[in-house]
Amino acid sequence: MARESVIEAVQTDQTDQTDLTARTESAATGVRAGRSRFGSNFGSLELLVVGMVVLLVTRQLVAGWVGPPWLEAWAAVFVAICVQALPFLLFGVVLSACIAAFVPTSLLERALPRNPVLAVPIAGVAGVVLPGCECASVPVADRLIARGVAPAAALAFLLSSPAINPVVLVATSVAFRGQPEMVLARLVASLATAVVMGLLWARFGRPEWLRPRSRREPSAGTGGWASFRATLEHDFLHAGGFLVIGGMTAATLNVAVPRGLLSSLAGLPGISVLMLGLLAVLLAVCSEADAFVAAGLSGFSPTARLAFMVVGPMVDVKLIALQAGTFGRAFAWRFSGATFVVALLSSGLVGWWLL
Amino acid sequence: MRRGSPNSGARAVLQILLGAAVLHISLFSEMYLRYVRQALRPYLVASGVLLVLVGLVGAVVAVREALHGRVEHPEQYEHGDGDGHGHSHGSGPRIAWLLVLPVLAIFLLAPGALGAYTAQRSDSTTVKPAAANTGFAPLPTTDPAPLRLADFDARAVWDSSGSLKGRRVRLTGFATSKDGGGWYLTRLTITCCAADARSSKVEIRGGGAPPPQGSWVEVTGVWQSDSEAGRDNAIPSLAAERVSATSEPDNPYE
Repeated sequence: MARESVIEAVQTDQTDQTDLTARTESAATGVRAGRSRFGSNFGSLELLVVGMVVLLVTRQLVAGWVGPPWLEAWAAVFVAICVQALPFLLFGVVLSACIAAFVPTSLLERALPRNPVLAVPIAGVAGVVLPGCECASVPVADRLIARGVAPAAALAFLLSSPAINPVVLVATSVAFRGQPEMVLARLVASLATAVVMGLLWARFGRPEWLRPRSRREPSAGTGGWASFRATLEHDFLHAGGFLVIGGMTAATLNVAVPRGLLSSLAGLPGISVLMLGLLAVLLAVCSEADAFVAAGLSGFSPTARLAFMVVGPMVDVKLIALQAGTFGRAFAWRFSGATFVVALLSSGLVGWWLL
Repeated sequence: MRRGSPNSGARAVLQILLGAAVLHISLFSEMYLRYVRQALRPYLVASGVLLVLVGLVGAVVAVREALHGRVEHPEQYEHGDGDGHGHSHGSGPRIAWLLVLPVLAIFLLAPGALGAYTAQRSDSTTVKPAAANTGFAPLPTTDPAPLRLADFDARAVWDSSGSLKGRRVRLTGFATSKDGGGWYLTRLTITCCAADARSSKVEIRGGGAPPPQGSWVEVTGVWQSDSEAGRDNAIPSLAAERVSATSEPDNPYE
């Protein structure tokens, strides 16, 4: 009986995730503001503690129970994605909190040229310095915007850093041993996509699409350790929640998409680039590992595999969830959609040129 | 304060719980090997410790607040934009509650490593290794030679010098059934985490009745050179001399 309630809880949460954002919207109007501060201050903690006690008891009851194989596989992939992303997310959040608490705004403003046409490529190349996967770059880019960096430049950085940092490039060269042109093609195509997206944003982007921290948090705080801890806690819990949504989506697709379907589509030229681009979005493989997955997609053309590696670090279900949470949904859909198209075009061109 | 948002105490507990879950699988047990690669362990331990510490500091702040009967104001998350995910004084983002899900999955479900279910639904992949052009390293001289299943596949499919010919090898993996009878010895390889698992299979010929689906076995035998080669999804075969049950290795992936 107890075990059924657990599955039910998991499944309910899975289906609830989509309307969660919708519900927060109505809740944000603050209709319950009149509630006593004392009462609400203790409600959620008690709930959490009672919930945990109940779970500890349940755990004894479900001990030894093994779920159906699909649930087991789903849960393993879900835990794997969350656990794998956690150190990177924390790293990004700590870096972001450091920038918030200890780096003066003037320094960042002076570091980049005012003209976006110059600032965007510089920011794109600067992505080399953040060794990590895509989860780390979202909070950092968010913080950079809050600290006065032009959004176009910060977004170019957001896209380029998970794709062209040294860890990822080394992984790519290991996966495609004896094919250095693949590493070069990945570097060129990813950087081109990041810079084009930055410039597109500078030209066509509207500030109202972006919901940066600067509007969520008008007073940037006084700096120092208290501000560091508060920022860290807030950013981590916020991004972490969205990471969970992304992890559930990716795990579901990972278990649900039959791999045999892929090989049957591999033969179709033209379609294959689009297919692997879509696959990269759906599978949400960490950017440090996607080269190995791409190397295994052997039926596909090199250009299609390049598209998989260019799209993956920039657009995937986990990232869309993270971006929607950080920058707002209006931004996430437009930006991810445009990035997907630009990344495919860029991979196609670079693949035709180099591969 | 919005109803349903974690207050400062709940936020601290959330972080401690998540940190504890991460330490539970990475520091106090080897469970992390079911989900992520080995090299990630120090980062997981560091993340777990950091989360627990930040949570404890947060808890102290929350207790002091409660004792002094005031609400914290270190950071004013002012919001009037009404576009979701807003935050108000002293309350965290509601989305943060979702972080209990990985904690529940780890403590309650404790899912095992990916295995037969995943392998059954994916093709064996043997990417052409660099050694296919430069020559494979010599096999271990022991008889039988212990080999990773993926290495056996790589040699069987891509080694034109035939280093496996006539050699007895020992492979460890789990059993998956083959369409139309027979079975495969199978092992999954992960690079970063279980989301990128790839499978390597070897068709086992002889050696008695197929072991139950998903059970771990050790197989000693000789490569059958008649099996197909030179294709990424070729599955080599092995004439089994001995098939013995074994327990799941600490690291279920290769």
